[in-house]
Amino acid sequence: MAVVEVRQLEKSFKGKEAVKGLDFELQRGKVIALLGPNGAGKTTTLRMLSGLLKPTKGTIRFSETNENEDIRNHIGFLPQYPSFHSWMTGKEFLIYVGQLAHLSKDEAQERANELLEKVGIANAANQRIGKYSGGMKQRLGIAQAMIHQPQLLMLDEPVSSLDPIGRREVLQLMEELKEQTTILFSTHILGDAEEICDDLLLMHNGKILESGPIKELQIKHQTSLLEIIIEENPETYIDRLKAFESIEDCKLEKGKLLVAVNDMDKARTQILQAALQEKWPLIKFELRRTTLEEMFMKVVSG
Amino acid sequence: MQWMTIFKKELLGDWRSMKWIWVPLVFILLCIMDPLMTYFMPRILDSVGGMPEGAVIEFPEVPPTEAIMMSLTELSMFGSLLIAAITMSVIAGERKSGVAELILVKPVNYFSYITSKWAAKLFLIFISYSLGMLASWYYVDLLFGGLSAERFFGLFIFYFIWLIFTVTVAIFYNTIFKRPGIVLAASVGTYIALSILAQVFANRSPWFPNNISSHIRSLMASGEVSSDLWIAAGVTVGISIILLIASNFSLRKAELAE
Ligand SMILES: Nc1ncnc2c1ncn2[C@@H]1O[C@H](COP(=O)(O)OP(=O)(O)O)[C@@H](O)[C@H]1O
Ligand SMILES: [Mg+2]
Repeated sequence: MAVVEVRQLEKSFKGKEAVKGLDFELQRGKVIALLGPNGAGKTTTLRMLSGLLKPTKGTIRFSETNENEDIRNHIGFLPQYPSFHSWMTGKEFLIYVGQLAHLSKDEAQERANELLEKVGIANAANQRIGKYSGGMKQRLGIAQAMIHQPQLLMLDEPVSSLDPIGRREVLQLMEELKEQTTILFSTHILGDAEEICDDLLLMHNGKILESGPIKELQIKHQTSLLEIIIEENPETYIDRLKAFESIEDCKLEKGKLLVAVNDMDKARTQILQAALQEKWPLIKFELRRTTLEEMFMKVVSG
Repeated sequence: MQWMTIFKKELLGDWRSMKWIWVPLVFILLCIMDPLMTYFMPRILDSVGGMPEGAVIEFPEVPPTEAIMMSLTELSMFGSLLIAAITMSVIAGERKSGVAELILVKPVNYFSYITSKWAAKLFLIFISYSLGMLASWYYVDLLFGGLSAERFFGLFIFYFIWLIFTVTVAIFYNTIFKRPGIVLAASVGTYIALSILAQVFANRSPWFPNNISSHIRSLMASGEVSSDLWIAAGVTVGISIILLIASNFSLRKAELAE
C-alpha cells in the first residue's frame, strides 16, 4: 500500500533545476530514507511533499485522502533547521500547534504531555524554547510534527546536527515512532539510513539513482573480493590464480592481488590449498566485501 | 476555533514582549503631547521671564475642538509609523525565521491565519488609541474648555477607521515580502504616497482615505457628519476588506519556504 505516489516531480528555482523528475512511492508502515549528498535536492523534495513549495511540474498523490481534503491533516514535518517562537515554552508551543491541527484544548494538552515525555524533554516542558539546546529543539520539532498523529511523518536531516549521543537517542525515538506512522527522513549519512530504514531512495543531482528495500540494495551492490598480499613477485601468481574455475578475475593493484570470485567458499579452499602445497610467501589473505557504502561513495564522488 | 487559538497566541506574544505596556504609553504620549505643549509653553515662557522688556506673550485662544485635533496630527505622523513598526513582522517575521514552516504545514486556514493576526494587532492598537484619546480628551476638557461627548466619539470612531486601514496595509505587505524591514518601508512609503496624492487631488477626491482627518476637522467645527466623511470612511473600510482578501491570495501563492 502506497501512502504517497510521486510522479515526474520537478522543481526549478529561477531556471535552475533542483529536482529533475522524481518517480517514487512510499509504502505504508515503512521507514524510508532519502539519502544523498548536500545539494542533492532532499530538502526541496520534502518541502514539496509537505506543501511548502509548489512543484514546477509533476504530481504528488496522497492515497486515502479524498480530493478536497487538506492533506496537511495527515502529514507531520520537521524542517532541517526548525525554528520556534522562542518566547513560548515547549509545552505551550505543542498545545498551540495541536490546536492548529484541530485538537481541542484538552486533547492538545494531553497529547503535549505525552509527547514531551516520549521525546524526553518533559523536565523542560515549562522552560522558554529560547533556552533549549539544539538537541532539545530537535526533539521538540519531532514532537510538534507528531502532535496530530499524522499518517506520514517527514523529517529533514533529523540527526545530522546532533552529537553522537543525541543522534542515537533520536534514532531510537524514530524506531519507536515507526510503529505508529510511515516515516520519510532525509540524511547525507549512509550509516544513519542503514541503521533504521526499510527502504532507501538514493538521490543525487536532483534525481533518484537507486531505490528499493535496503536489504535488496545491500545484496545487489555487494560483491566479494579477495585481497592477497604475497611477499615476492606477486605478478607471477596472476595466471596461477586465474586458472582456478572459481576465480573470475585477478589483477595487481599497489602490490596487492585483488581477486574477484564467483564462489567464495570454493575459491578460498582452492587458493589456501595451493598456497600451502606450493609454499607461497603469503603476508595477507583477506576477504573483502564491497558494500552500499562503496556504491554511495562512487555516486557522491562523481 | 483555530482563529481564536492564533488570536490568543498573538496577544500573549505581545504581552510577553511588553508591547502591551509600551504601545499604550507611546499612544498616550503622542495624544497628549501637543495639547499640553500648546497650553503650557507660553505660560512657562512667561513665568520664566527673560523676554525683552515690553514683549507681550500671547496666549493663543485655541478652541477645544482644535486642541483635540492636535492629537490626530501627531497620530497621523508618528502613529502610522508606530503601527507599521509593530505590525511589520506579524507574518513576515514568521516566514523569515522559519516558524511559518512549522505552522503552515499544520492544517491552518490561511484566511484565519491572516485575519486573526490582523485582529490581534488591531485590538492592541484600539486599546492604546482609546487610552491615548481619552487622556487627550481629559486634558483638553481641563485646559481648553468643554468638548461634547458627541463630537469626541465622532472623531474617535472615524479616525479609528483610518487606523484600521494603516494596519491592514502593513498586514498586506506582510504577505508579499519576507523581510520585516521591507514591509515597514513599503507600508510607510504607501502612507506617504497616499498623503501626497491626497494633497495633489485634494478637491477632486474627497473620498480618499487620507481625507478622513480633514473631514473630521469640519466635523469638529460644524458638529455635523458630512456625506464626504461617510463616503471616505466607507471607501476606507472597502479598501481594507479588499486588502485582506488580496492578502489571502498573496499568501496562498507564496512559496512558504526560502
Ligand atoms: N530557494 C532556493 N533558491 C535557489 N536555489 C535553491 C533554493 N533551494 C534550494 N536550491 C538549490 O537546489 C539544490 C538542492 O538543494 P536542497 O534541496 O537544499 O538539497 P539538500 O537538502 O539535498 O542538501 C541546491 O543546488 C540548492 O542550491
Ligand atoms: Mg537539505
